[in-house]
Amino acid sequence: MSMIKTENIHKYFGENHVLNGVDLEIAKSEVVCVVGPSGSGKSTLLRCLNRLERITSGKIYIEGKLIEHRESDKNILKIDPKEVAKMCSELGMVFQRFNLFPHKTALENVTIAQETVKKTSKEIAEKIGLDLLEKVGMAEKANEYPSRLSGGQQQRVAIARALAMEPKIMLFDEPTSALDPELVGGVLEIMKQLALDGMTMMVVTHEMGFAREVGSRLIFMDEGAIIEEGTPDEVFMNPKNDRTRDFFKSIL
Amino acid sequence: MTQAQIKAYVSGAGITLSLTFVAILFGMVLGLLLAFGRMSKSKTLQGITWTYIWVFRGTPMMLQLMIIYFGIPLISSALFGRPMGPERMTSAYVGLTLNTAAYLAEIFRAGILSIDKGQLEAGKALGMTNGQTMRKIIIPQTIRRIIPPFSNEFVMLLKDSSVVYILGIGDLTRTSRQFAAQGEVKFYFIAGAIYLVLTTIFTVLFDRLEKKYAKYE
Repeated sequence: MSMIKTENIHKYFGENHVLNGVDLEIAKSEVVCVVGPSGSGKSTLLRCLNRLERITSGKIYIEGKLIEHRESDKNILKIDPKEVAKMCSELGMVFQRFNLFPHKTALENVTIAQETVKKTSKEIAEKIGLDLLEKVGMAEKANEYPSRLSGGQQQRVAIARALAMEPKIMLFDEPTSALDPELVGGVLEIMKQLALDGMTMMVVTHEMGFAREVGSRLIFMDEGAIIEEGTPDEVFMNPKNDRTRDFFKSIL
Repeated sequence: MTQAQIKAYVSGAGITLSLTFVAILFGMVLGLLLAFGRMSKSKTLQGITWTYIWVFRGTPMMLQLMIIYFGIPLISSALFGRPMGPERMTSAYVGLTLNTAAYLAEIFRAGILSIDKGQLEAGKALGMTNGQTMRKIIIPQTIRRIIPPFSNEFVMLLKDSSVVYILGIGDLTRTSRQFAAQGEVKFYFIAGAIYLVLTTIFTVLFDRLEKKYAKYE
């Protein structure tokens, strides 16, 4: 059973056709890296999966269950909002700009959703939180506010925050693009560890090294569609499509 | 100054403070509702709240008070044949509250809109409902940002509450006028000094509050 499946999804922002019939299937423990020029729709695709954007038309399945079916911006599938929230919390998300809660310490960032959504007791949430911060190498900074942390540290806390909801799938939206070069490695290392632990991951990225080393599949998107996909080495070393070739040429 | 005069000033200051507090407290509740109405998806709610704010910010507070206190009985006479309306203090409380709510609504709305959209998205992505994200993530950050304009509004209200003069309410300003009318200017200055003390105290308090909330920045 696939963890994520999309069928013919389209997304318009006004006149702008951002996703043009995307069919995607991701199996358990796959690490799918998505690359493509800016404006190719890769972030939008990711954001549609957990409803930060609503698709204009198409179907989305999570773990085989249809959770979104729309046509012409109208819901075909009626679904209880609570069910939706639950589904969305199974998709952990890491943002380009971290989006940590600035008024909460690192630890509180990791515990807040456990307490409010899962109703975990404060004590247990903190224990889980500290374990996760430990895992991302941030246990020492548990009581610091985000403003006191570097970008790389903030992103690591953000990963721990997403993991606290025990997601089955992790979505990464250009997780290292806003980081100073020397901080990128630490974040990628944690993502690699997650992949090794068997997490299903979808990663929008420009880090070709990561894609080739950790990715099980590489997808190249352009103008709202998947142009080419395959194992990272296949796509990278031997792109079949001209646009893919041009793109790799332009970023190297 | 005689004992009676001191007592009158104390009572006048009490009325001024009471008007300010009541108007700010109820104005906050109403203002928050108005702010959410302005930001809601419903065109009707948007329209109603927009009109409310437009009217109350666009007309003088003194005129609003006159309509409530003098106008309602006139309307009542025309409709029911006898003049009925709120008494002085009630009119003042209601008028100041309604007016303050319009200003606070805009302060709240600006505060909420100033929070980065990514915060809402992060809450959503963690499975929090809109309500939970509002309460736990957006509002707490908004509070820190709106303290300065809120403080400003509070101090303005404290001074502008003197418009209740028109209803014959013995607040600080009216008290000073009554004594000064006997020919001594010092009574105005005493009132001025009391206003200054009060506004200073509250400005300092709000500054402290702002610093306290700024600890995470």
